[in-house]
Amino acid sequence: MLMPRKVAHRKHHRGRTRGLTKGSSELAFGEFGIQALEPGWLTARQIEAARIAMTRAIKRGGKVWINVFPDKPVTKKPAETRMGSGKGNPELWVAVVKPGRILFELSFPNAEGARIAMNKAIQKLPIKARVVTREETV
Amino acid sequence: MASTVLVADTGRPTGSAASRRLRAADQIPGVLYGHGMQPVSVAVARRDLRLALSGPAGLNTVLDLSVDGTVYPAIVKDVQRHPVRRNVSHVDFIQVNLDEEITVSVPVRLVGEAAAVVAGGGLVDPAVDAIEVVTTPRSIPPEFVIDVTDMEMDTVIRLEDVPMPDGVVATGDPDGPVVTVLTMRAEMAEIEAADAEIAEEQAEAEGEAPAGEEADGEGDGEASEAGASE
Repeated sequence: MLMPRKVAHRKHHRGRTRGLTKGSSELAFGEFGIQALEPGWLTARQIEAARIAMTRAIKRGGKVWINVFPDKPVTKKPAETRMGSGKGNPELWVAVVKPGRILFELSFPNAEGARIAMNKAIQKLPIKARVVTREETV
Repeated sequence: MASTVLVADTGRPTGSAASRRLRAADQIPGVLYGHGMQPVSVAVARRDLRLALSGPAGLNTVLDLSVDGTVYPAIVKDVQRHPVRRNVSHVDFIQVNLDEEITVSVPVRLVGEAAAVVAGGGLVDPAVDAIEVVTTPRSIPPEFVIDVTDMEMDTVIRLEDVPMPDGVVATGDPDGPVVTVLTMRAEMAEIEAADAEIAEEQAEAEGEAPAGEEADGEGDGEASEAGASE
Protein backbone atom coordinates (compact mmCIF):
# COMPACT_ATOMS: atom_id res chain seq x y z
CA MET A 1 0.00 0.00 0.00
CA LEU A 2 1.06 3.57 -0.56
CA MET A 3 2.58 5.45 2.37
CA PRO A 4 5.39 7.96 2.88
CA ARG A 5 8.84 6.57 3.55
CA LYS A 6 9.56 9.19 6.20
CA VAL A 7 7.64 12.15 7.55
CA ALA A 8 8.42 15.42 9.26
CA HIS A 9 5.53 15.06 11.75
CA ARG A 10 4.09 11.74 12.85
CA LYS A 11 0.65 13.12 13.71
CA HIS A 12 -1.37 15.71 11.81
CA HIS A 13 -4.39 17.81 12.63
CA ARG A 14 -7.54 16.66 10.89
CA GLY A 15 -8.12 19.96 9.12
CA ARG A 16 -11.10 21.11 7.06
CA THR A 17 -11.67 20.49 3.36
CA ARG A 18 -13.19 23.53 1.70
CA GLY A 19 -13.51 24.60 -1.90
CA LEU A 20 -12.49 22.96 -5.15
CA THR A 21 -9.21 21.41 -6.20
CA LYS A 22 -6.53 23.93 -6.99
CA GLY A 23 -4.79 21.89 -9.67
CA SER A 24 -4.72 18.40 -11.15
CA SER A 25 -8.18 18.82 -12.63
CA GLU A 26 -7.07 17.98 -16.19
CA LEU A 27 -5.91 14.68 -17.62
CA ALA A 28 -2.12 14.69 -17.90
CA PHE A 29 -1.13 11.13 -18.87
CA GLY A 30 -3.97 8.86 -19.98
CA GLU A 31 -7.00 9.23 -22.21
CA PHE A 32 -9.47 8.49 -19.41
CA GLY A 33 -9.60 9.50 -15.78
CA ILE A 34 -11.59 9.29 -12.57
CA GLN A 35 -12.53 12.70 -11.22
CA ALA A 36 -13.68 13.33 -7.66
CA LEU A 37 -17.00 15.15 -7.30
CA GLU A 38 -16.99 15.41 -3.51
CA PRO A 39 -14.40 16.27 -0.89
CA GLY A 40 -13.11 13.44 1.26
CA TRP A 41 -10.26 11.29 2.49
CA LEU A 42 -9.11 8.32 0.44
CA THR A 43 -7.28 5.74 2.51
CA ALA A 44 -4.31 3.84 1.13
CA ARG A 45 -6.44 0.68 1.22
CA GLN A 46 -9.19 2.29 -0.84
CA ILE A 47 -6.70 3.59 -3.40
CA GLU A 48 -5.14 0.15 -3.66
CA ALA A 49 -8.54 -1.55 -3.92
CA ALA A 50 -9.57 0.79 -6.73
CA ARG A 51 -6.29 0.23 -8.55
CA ILE A 52 -6.59 -3.55 -8.30
CA ALA A 53 -10.23 -3.45 -9.47
CA MET A 54 -9.25 -1.38 -12.48
CA THR A 55 -6.14 -3.41 -13.33
CA ARG A 56 -8.10 -6.64 -13.05
CA ALA A 57 -10.89 -5.33 -15.28
CA ILE A 58 -8.56 -4.23 -18.05
CA LYS A 59 -6.54 -7.47 -17.69
CA ARG A 60 -3.80 -6.54 -20.17
CA GLY A 61 -3.37 -3.80 -22.71
CA GLY A 62 -3.75 -0.80 -20.43
CA LYS A 63 -1.72 1.51 -18.25
CA VAL A 64 -2.84 3.02 -14.96
CA TRP A 65 -1.60 6.17 -13.24
CA ILE A 66 -2.43 7.01 -9.63
CA ASN A 67 -2.54 10.78 -9.19
CA VAL A 68 -3.15 10.94 -5.45
CA PHE A 69 -0.83 9.91 -2.64
CA PRO A 70 -1.89 9.19 0.94
CA ASP A 71 0.51 11.43 2.84
CA LYS A 72 -1.68 12.39 5.80
CA PRO A 73 -1.53 10.18 8.89
CA VAL A 74 -4.78 9.48 10.73
CA THR A 75 -4.59 8.52 14.38
CA LYS A 76 -6.96 6.41 16.41
CA LYS A 77 -7.24 5.73 20.11
CA PRO A 78 -7.45 2.07 21.11
CA ALA A 79 -10.89 0.62 21.81
CA GLU A 80 -12.32 1.12 25.30
CA THR A 81 -9.84 3.77 26.27
CA ARG A 82 -10.79 6.70 28.45
CA MET A 83 -10.49 10.14 26.89
CA GLY A 84 -7.30 12.07 27.48
CA SER A 85 -3.71 10.88 27.73
CA GLY A 86 -2.74 12.50 24.46
CA LYS A 87 -3.41 11.87 20.80
CA GLY A 88 -3.82 8.30 19.57
CA ASN A 89 -1.45 6.27 17.45
CA PRO A 90 -1.12 6.68 13.66
CA GLU A 91 -3.28 3.93 12.16
CA LEU A 92 -3.77 4.74 8.50
CA TRP A 93 -2.71 7.05 5.71
CA VAL A 94 -5.14 9.12 3.68
CA ALA A 95 -5.06 11.41 0.66
CA VAL A 96 -7.11 14.58 1.06
CA VAL A 97 -9.23 15.08 -2.04
CA LYS A 98 -11.25 18.08 -3.14
CA PRO A 99 -13.94 18.14 -5.87
CA GLY A 100 -12.51 18.22 -9.39
CA ARG A 101 -9.33 16.29 -8.57
CA ILE A 102 -8.27 13.63 -11.07
CA LEU A 103 -7.63 10.53 -8.94
CA PHE A 104 -6.60 7.94 -11.52
CA GLU A 105 -5.77 8.01 -15.19
CA LEU A 106 -5.98 5.17 -17.64
CA SER A 107 -4.64 4.55 -21.11
CA PHE A 108 -6.63 1.81 -22.81
CA PRO A 109 -7.45 1.21 -26.49
CA ASN A 110 -11.12 0.38 -25.95
CA ALA A 111 -13.28 3.23 -24.61
CA GLU A 112 -16.11 0.97 -23.44
CA GLY A 113 -13.68 -1.34 -21.62
CA ALA A 114 -12.02 1.64 -19.98
CA ARG A 115 -15.36 2.97 -18.77
CA ILE A 116 -16.30 -0.40 -17.26
CA ALA A 117 -12.92 -0.69 -15.50
CA MET A 118 -13.12 2.82 -14.11
CA ASN A 119 -16.67 2.34 -12.85
CA LYS A 120 -15.47 -0.74 -10.97
CA ALA A 121 -12.73 1.38 -9.41
CA ILE A 122 -15.22 4.13 -8.49
CA GLN A 123 -17.21 1.58 -6.51
CA LYS A 124 -14.21 1.11 -4.22
CA LEU A 125 -14.04 4.82 -3.37
CA PRO A 126 -15.82 6.53 -0.47
CA ILE A 127 -16.77 9.60 -2.50
CA LYS A 128 -18.81 10.36 -5.60
CA ALA A 129 -16.65 10.33 -8.72
CA ARG A 130 -17.08 10.18 -12.47
CA VAL A 131 -15.21 9.05 -15.56
CA VAL A 132 -13.75 11.85 -17.70
CA THR A 133 -12.15 11.75 -21.15
CA ARG A 134 -9.97 14.09 -23.14
CA GLU A 135 -12.72 14.99 -25.57
CA GLU A 136 -14.27 18.16 -24.27
CA THR A 137 -16.60 20.75 -25.68
CA VAL A 138 -16.45 24.48 -25.12
CA MET B 1 -9.45 28.25 -45.18
CA ALA B 2 -12.69 30.08 -44.47
CA SER B 3 -12.50 32.51 -41.59
CA THR B 4 -14.64 32.13 -38.51
CA VAL B 5 -16.18 35.32 -37.23
CA LEU B 6 -16.68 35.84 -33.53
CA VAL B 7 -18.14 38.99 -32.03
CA ALA B 8 -16.70 40.15 -28.71
CA ASP B 9 -18.03 42.95 -26.54
CA THR B 10 -15.70 45.33 -24.76
CA GLY B 11 -16.25 47.39 -21.68
CA ARG B 12 -17.08 44.48 -19.45
CA PRO B 13 -16.66 45.10 -15.74
CA THR B 14 -13.64 43.30 -14.33
CA GLY B 15 -13.34 41.43 -11.07
CA SER B 16 -14.50 38.06 -9.84
CA ALA B 17 -18.04 39.05 -8.87
CA ALA B 18 -18.70 40.83 -12.17
CA SER B 19 -17.20 37.89 -14.07
CA ARG B 20 -19.46 35.52 -12.15
CA ARG B 21 -22.48 37.59 -13.16
CA LEU B 22 -21.30 37.53 -16.79
CA ARG B 23 -21.00 33.73 -16.73
CA ALA B 24 -24.47 33.45 -15.25
CA ALA B 25 -25.72 35.43 -18.26
CA ASP B 26 -24.02 32.90 -20.64
CA GLN B 27 -21.17 35.27 -21.48
CA ILE B 28 -17.55 34.21 -21.12
CA PRO B 29 -15.06 36.82 -19.90
CA GLY B 30 -11.85 36.96 -21.87
CA VAL B 31 -8.91 39.09 -22.88
CA LEU B 32 -7.37 39.96 -26.25
CA TYR B 33 -3.69 40.81 -26.52
CA GLY B 34 -0.65 40.39 -28.75
CA HIS B 35 1.38 42.18 -31.40
CA GLY B 36 2.05 45.20 -29.22
CA MET B 37 -1.58 46.09 -28.62
CA GLN B 38 -2.85 47.07 -25.19
CA PRO B 39 -4.74 44.12 -23.67
CA VAL B 40 -8.51 44.52 -24.04
CA SER B 41 -10.99 42.88 -21.69
CA VAL B 42 -13.76 41.32 -23.75
CA ALA B 43 -16.78 39.10 -23.30
CA VAL B 44 -18.07 36.56 -25.83
CA ALA B 45 -21.33 34.65 -25.92
CA ARG B 46 -20.80 31.05 -24.77
CA ARG B 47 -22.82 29.63 -27.65
CA ASP B 48 -20.95 31.68 -30.26
CA LEU B 49 -17.58 30.61 -28.87
CA ARG B 50 -18.64 26.97 -28.87
CA LEU B 51 -19.77 27.20 -32.49
CA ALA B 52 -16.61 29.03 -33.53
CA LEU B 53 -14.32 26.41 -31.96
CA SER B 54 -16.32 23.37 -33.07
CA GLY B 55 -14.74 23.28 -36.52
CA PRO B 56 -12.13 20.73 -37.61
CA ALA B 57 -9.27 22.84 -36.22
CA GLY B 58 -10.83 22.94 -32.75
CA LEU B 59 -8.98 25.25 -30.39
CA ASN B 60 -6.52 26.18 -33.15
CA THR B 61 -9.22 27.80 -35.29
CA VAL B 62 -8.15 31.18 -36.67
CA LEU B 63 -10.87 33.61 -35.66
CA ASP B 64 -11.83 36.97 -37.03
CA LEU B 65 -12.49 38.55 -33.68
CA SER B 66 -14.73 41.56 -34.10
CA VAL B 67 -14.16 44.00 -31.25
CA ASP B 68 -16.01 47.33 -31.42
CA GLY B 69 -16.10 47.21 -35.21
CA THR B 70 -12.40 46.35 -35.60
CA VAL B 71 -11.62 42.84 -36.80
CA TYR B 72 -8.52 41.18 -35.30
CA PRO B 73 -7.21 37.87 -36.63
CA ALA B 74 -6.78 35.86 -33.43
CA ILE B 75 -6.42 32.37 -32.05
CA VAL B 76 -7.26 31.00 -28.64
CA LYS B 77 -4.14 31.10 -26.49
CA ASP B 78 -5.57 29.63 -23.31
CA VAL B 79 -8.87 28.35 -21.97
CA GLN B 80 -9.68 28.11 -18.27
CA ARG B 81 -12.31 25.61 -17.24
CA HIS B 82 -14.32 25.09 -14.08
CA PRO B 83 -12.71 22.07 -12.38
CA VAL B 84 -15.99 20.21 -11.81
CA ARG B 85 -18.49 21.60 -14.30
CA ARG B 86 -15.83 21.59 -17.06
CA ASN B 87 -17.34 24.60 -18.84
CA VAL B 88 -15.15 27.47 -19.97
CA SER B 89 -14.76 30.20 -17.37
CA HIS B 90 -12.22 32.43 -19.15
CA VAL B 91 -10.59 32.59 -22.55
CA ASP B 92 -7.40 34.29 -23.77
CA PHE B 93 -7.26 35.42 -27.40
CA ILE B 94 -3.94 36.33 -28.97
CA GLN B 95 -3.82 38.56 -32.01
CA VAL B 96 -1.81 37.02 -34.85
CA ASN B 97 -0.33 38.23 -38.08
CA LEU B 98 -1.60 35.91 -40.81
CA ASP B 99 1.77 36.04 -42.63
CA GLU B 100 3.90 35.52 -39.57
CA GLU B 101 4.82 32.11 -38.21
CA ILE B 102 3.49 31.12 -34.79
CA THR B 103 4.00 28.14 -32.52
CA VAL B 104 0.92 26.02 -31.82
CA SER B 105 0.18 22.54 -30.47
CA VAL B 106 -1.63 20.26 -32.87
CA PRO B 107 -3.37 17.18 -31.44
CA VAL B 108 -2.29 13.67 -32.42
CA ARG B 109 -4.87 11.00 -33.31
CA LEU B 110 -3.95 7.33 -33.67
CA VAL B 111 -5.87 5.18 -36.14
CA GLY B 112 -5.86 1.47 -36.83
CA GLU B 113 -5.20 -1.50 -34.61
CA ALA B 114 -1.68 -2.86 -34.28
CA ALA B 115 -2.44 -6.57 -34.52
CA ALA B 116 1.19 -7.59 -33.98
CA VAL B 117 1.37 -5.56 -30.78
CA VAL B 118 -1.91 -6.91 -29.39
CA ALA B 119 -0.81 -10.48 -30.18
CA GLY B 120 2.52 -9.89 -28.44
CA GLY B 121 0.87 -8.63 -25.26
CA GLY B 122 1.83 -5.01 -25.81
CA LEU B 123 0.06 -1.69 -25.72
CA VAL B 124 0.35 1.10 -28.26
CA ASP B 125 1.10 4.07 -26.08
CA PRO B 126 0.98 7.64 -27.40
CA ALA B 127 4.01 9.32 -25.82
CA VAL B 128 2.56 12.75 -26.61
CA ASP B 129 -0.99 13.92 -27.17
CA ALA B 130 -0.02 16.97 -29.22
CA ILE B 131 2.90 18.04 -31.39
CA GLU B 132 4.23 21.58 -31.23
CA VAL B 133 4.74 23.08 -34.67
CA VAL B 134 5.77 26.40 -36.20
CA THR B 135 3.61 27.57 -39.07
CA THR B 136 1.52 30.44 -40.34
CA PRO B 137 -1.97 30.68 -38.83
CA ARG B 138 -3.68 29.72 -42.07
CA SER B 139 -1.57 26.54 -42.47
CA ILE B 140 -2.24 25.03 -39.03
CA PRO B 141 -3.18 21.38 -39.62
CA PRO B 142 -6.34 20.34 -37.72
CA GLU B 143 -4.62 17.19 -36.39
CA PHE B 144 -1.89 14.67 -37.10
CA VAL B 145 -3.35 11.28 -37.99
CA ILE B 146 -0.88 8.48 -37.32
CA ASP B 147 -1.60 4.97 -38.58
CA VAL B 148 -0.37 2.36 -36.09
CA THR B 149 -1.56 -0.72 -38.00
CA ASP B 150 1.96 -1.78 -39.01
CA MET B 151 3.54 -1.32 -35.60
CA GLU B 152 5.53 -4.21 -34.15
CA MET B 153 6.61 -4.82 -30.56
CA ASP B 154 9.92 -3.01 -31.08
CA THR B 155 8.62 -0.17 -33.25
CA VAL B 156 8.84 3.44 -32.15
CA ILE B 157 7.30 6.21 -34.23
CA ARG B 158 9.50 9.25 -33.83
CA LEU B 159 8.79 12.87 -34.59
CA GLU B 160 10.84 12.68 -37.79
CA ASP B 161 8.54 9.85 -38.99
CA VAL B 162 5.42 12.01 -38.78
CA PRO B 163 4.78 13.58 -42.19
CA MET B 164 4.42 17.34 -41.97
CA PRO B 165 2.36 19.34 -44.47
CA ASP B 166 4.10 22.05 -46.50
CA GLY B 167 5.04 25.06 -44.43
CA VAL B 168 4.73 23.24 -41.12
CA VAL B 169 7.85 22.51 -39.06
CA ALA B 170 7.89 20.56 -35.80
CA THR B 171 9.86 22.27 -33.04
CA GLY B 172 10.65 19.21 -30.94
CA ASP B 173 13.56 16.77 -31.07
CA PRO B 174 13.31 14.75 -34.33
CA ASP B 175 14.35 11.63 -32.38
CA GLY B 176 11.69 12.21 -29.74
CA PRO B 177 9.12 9.38 -29.49
CA VAL B 178 5.55 10.08 -30.54
CA VAL B 179 4.10 6.58 -30.30
CA THR B 180 5.73 3.70 -28.45
CA VAL B 181 4.85 0.14 -27.51
CA LEU B 182 4.64 -0.88 -23.86
CA THR B 183 5.07 -4.49 -22.82
CA MET B 184 2.49 -5.57 -20.30
CA ARG B 185 4.41 -8.42 -18.71
CA ALA B 186 5.02 -6.58 -15.45
CA GLU B 187 1.36 -5.64 -15.13
CA MET B 188 0.24 -9.23 -15.63
CA ALA B 189 2.75 -10.45 -13.05
CA GLU B 190 1.33 -7.87 -10.65
CA ILE B 191 -2.23 -9.12 -11.19
CA GLU B 192 -1.13 -12.71 -10.65
CA ALA B 193 0.71 -11.71 -7.48
CA ALA B 194 -2.38 -9.84 -6.21
CA ASP B 195 -4.56 -12.88 -6.97
CA ALA B 196 -2.15 -15.15 -5.13
CA GLU B 197 -2.13 -12.75 -2.17
CA ILE B 198 -5.93 -12.70 -2.01
CA ALA B 199 -6.12 -16.52 -2.23
CA GLU B 200 -3.57 -16.74 0.58
CA GLU B 201 -5.53 -14.29 2.75
CA GLN B 202 -8.75 -16.22 2.14
CA ALA B 203 -7.07 -19.49 3.05
CA GLU B 204 -5.70 -17.91 6.24
CA ALA B 205 -9.11 -16.45 7.12
CA GLU B 206 -10.79 -19.82 6.66
CA GLY B 207 -8.17 -21.51 8.80
CA GLU B 208 -8.41 -18.93 11.58
CA ALA B 209 -12.18 -18.46 11.66
CA PRO B 210 -12.88 -20.70 14.67
CA ALA B 211 -9.96 -19.23 16.61
CA GLY B 212 -11.22 -15.69 15.81
CA GLU B 213 -14.67 -16.54 17.18
CA GLU B 214 -13.10 -17.83 20.39
CA ALA B 215 -11.08 -14.66 20.69
CA ASP B 216 -14.22 -12.56 20.25
CA GLY B 217 -15.94 -14.53 22.97
CA GLU B 218 -13.07 -13.97 25.33
CA GLY B 219 -13.05 -10.28 24.50
CA ASP B 220 -16.75 -9.97 25.38
CA GLY B 221 -16.14 -11.70 28.63
CA GLU B 222 -13.38 -9.32 29.55
CA ALA B 223 -15.53 -6.37 28.65
CA SER B 224 -18.37 -7.53 30.85
CA GLU B 225 -15.96 -8.20 33.70
CA ALA B 226 -14.48 -4.74 33.32
CA GLY B 227 -17.96 -3.26 33.31
CA ALA B 228 -18.87 -5.18 36.46
CA SER B 229 -15.77 -4.06 38.28
CA GLU B 230 -16.59 -0.44 37.55
